[in-house]
Amino acid sequence: MSKAARQRSARERLAEERRHQAQKQQRARMLMISLSALVIVALAVVITVYFANKKDPNAYTGAFAPASRQSDEAVLMGKPGAKAPKLELFEDFQCPICHEFEKSSGNTIKRLAAEGKVNVLYYPFWLFKQQPDPVRGNSQRAANAALCAPADKWVQYHDLIYKNQPAEGSDGFSNKDLIGWAKSLGFDNPAFEKCVNGSQKQGQLDQMTNYAEQTRKVTGTPTVYLDGQSLDLSGTLLNPANLEKAILAAQPMDLSPSTSPSTSPSTSPSVSASPSGTAKK
Amino acid sequence: MAGHKPRAGGGFLSPALQYQEWITVVVRVALAAILGYAGYAKFSEAQGLQKVAVSSYEILPKGVVTPVAFGLPVLEMALAAMILLGFATRVMAVCVGLLFVVFIAGIISAWARGLSIDCGCFGGGGAVGKGQTHYLREILRDLGFLVLAAWLMVFPRGRLALDRVLGLYAV
Repeated sequence: MSKAARQRSARERLAEERRHQAQKQQRARMLMISLSALVIVALAVVITVYFANKKDPNAYTGAFAPASRQSDEAVLMGKPGAKAPKLELFEDFQCPICHEFEKSSGNTIKRLAAEGKVNVLYYPFWLFKQQPDPVRGNSQRAANAALCAPADKWVQYHDLIYKNQPAEGSDGFSNKDLIGWAKSLGFDNPAFEKCVNGSQKQGQLDQMTNYAEQTRKVTGTPTVYLDGQSLDLSGTLLNPANLEKAILAAQPMDLSPSTSPSTSPSTSPSVSASPSGTAKK
Repeated sequence: MAGHKPRAGGGFLSPALQYQEWITVVVRVALAAILGYAGYAKFSEAQGLQKVAVSSYEILPKGVVTPVAFGLPVLEMALAAMILLGFATRVMAVCVGLLFVVFIAGIISAWARGLSIDCGCFGGGGAVGKGQTHYLREILRDLGFLVLAAWLMVFPRGRLALDRVLGLYAV
């Protein structure tokens, strides 16, 4: 091999080596860029989820306003004698959006009730009676137990039932559990257990359901009337700030817990359609 | 489009490649706009509603619904930002493509099980009345988005990209 040829092949080897090196660097750079991009995206997501899960700006830890049972089995929560707007909640314990509504706005409602700024009427009814089991039975047992529960612990019991809402399509709200939650709230007794196990409030539940669906034209849950006016789901019910605004802007009504409750609604709601996206029957 | 110099070790860029690099920019902007809007629409919604949109698919277990409901909008917005910047374009495009595949699979699954829901693709979501579903339209739309992502997987190299600044295309 001539000297020139040797030199050329050495040059080529060197160039080859350099190219190889550059390629390796390039691959490393690519890997770095890709990894850092992935890490940035993952961090953004994780941080948001962490903070979104933590924050509950509306947490209400104060005492609840006194609750009493009306003659139509609805439970009224409100400061005695408070002249305040009337908020009527038509809910099914098995309804997932009701659970969301309770989670996002329940605290605000309780606070306003305790401050005497709203009178809340709870109408638990059996929206899902035409659904297949287990939804149908879950809904029925929970509503029956709620009707068995005493008024003074009712709202707490209602919260506990929602907290334990079974996932759609799975069994839950067993009578045993429903009695267990009563125990944890300290109002369990043989009469209550009999009421739960024997579905003793079925008649009242049918009445309540009839009232909701026939008289008040409730077709989906949650349906919430503020002074007879149906509130929309996404803008108001799931948005506690807007809900509070709406309540504070509404007309106060005389609805003292001590006076006898009205058995027939004085006004039929002008807007009776269910909030969009909840027609679930 | 200024004429440009042959880069170190790269040789000349053919006109076709130049053309492709600008198409990639357009695709990036379009995909980022779609994803960013979809993410923001969900993000700015009431939290309860986001969860309802996710749970209405009845696919995820209860404990996973909340993180997904909160995380997905951010994921979409973050990926949109990366695509727009042209940062790790190919890898991000793969992520976006996977996301669309998951979305399409979710919609097909909801359709096949006879659920009546809105896909919640751009916010909203949850149950709708029978006969008010738009599954086919939603799937076709997502397939269109998937095509955009696929373009970026095949041709990630584009102008106005961070990748270029970081020297990803030096060779």
